[in-house]
Amino acid sequence: MNVLSLIAAVAEDEEHIDQSHHWLLPETYEIVFGGLASLLIFGLLVWKAGPLVKKGLAARTERVQSQLDVATKEKADATAEADEIRRAKGDIGAERTRLLAEADGQAEALLADGRQRMEREIADLLAKAESDIAAAESRGNDELRAEIAGLAAAAAERVVTDHIDRDTHQELIESFISRVGASSGGAG
Amino acid sequence: MTDDGRIDGYAAALFEVAKAEGTLDEVEDELFRFARSFEASDSLRATLTDESIPAGKRQAIVEDLLGPKATATTTQLVSMVVGSGRGRELPAIVDRLVERASNAKSLAVAEVRSAVELTADQRDRLTAALANAVGKEINLKVVVDPAVLGGIVATVGDTVIDGTVRSHLDQLMSRL
Repeated sequence: MNVLSLIAAVAEDEEHIDQSHHWLLPETYEIVFGGLASLLIFGLLVWKAGPLVKKGLAARTERVQSQLDVATKEKADATAEADEIRRAKGDIGAERTRLLAEADGQAEALLADGRQRMEREIADLLAKAESDIAAAESRGNDELRAEIAGLAAAAAERVVTDHIDRDTHQELIESFISRVGASSGGAG
Repeated sequence: MTDDGRIDGYAAALFEVAKAEGTLDEVEDELFRFARSFEASDSLRATLTDESIPAGKRQAIVEDLLGPKATATTTQLVSMVVGSGRGRELPAIVDRLVERASNAKSLAVAEVRSAVELTADQRDRLTAALANAVGKEINLKVVVDPAVLGGIVATVGDTVIDGTVRSHLDQLMSRL
């Protein structure tokens, strides 16, 4: 077969094409070549792009898994933190209760101590006041006694001075001389 | 020289002067009386020991006070002590002089304070009584001191014999 005959044959086929046996289905040879070509392309895709797709999917799976792990860990951490916060909150409550109880105890002790100290101070003040009053009374009595004694002595001196005359002086002197003369080797 | 040594020095000088003058007994007695007056009078003591008053003026005061009443020797001796700025030590000097004069005669000094002056007879009898009481011969020095009110107080060394109205009043005051 020469070329002209081949072209003529193809042209004839095209006429046949234009004149397909079914409005929807292609010709058989088209199905065959198209299917082979599709298989070839699909095989090429599987051969060349398959590992890449598989690798990409694995990486994505790994990434998703990693994200899931991170999320799980974060969730665990959050749970632990929440537990810690809850525990701390509980501790804070307990500490608050303890501190309040301790403060109440200290306040009570301070009040009791202050009350005791105040009572002691009041007792001391009362004792001191009584002592001062007694001392003042005693001092007043002493001063009064001294004043009376001083006045009495001054009055006595005045009376004596007014009533000692020359004769009395002489009697006192003579009495002294006699008394001293009567003593011997000592003094009176 | 210490104060004590100076007082001894002055007393010895006064003693020798009075002894040389032959008026020791009289001078000693007058000095003793003046020393007691000096002790008793604040104003006299302040005047005669006031360094701001010139020595001549202080000596003139002494001569005015003692001139008519004491011997010239006594006046001159007191004037000398006051003029030399030792007025404050005059009683100690006189006491030392009296002690020295008494020791020279082997006598014990008896300081007697009375509200009124004693008669010569009372002095003699008191001297004898005190000598009998203390067992020593007595050089009697009488000071008229109205503060005793009445009676007598005699001091011989450390011995005090008190028979004054003042002491009775003091005892009464203490009992009160």
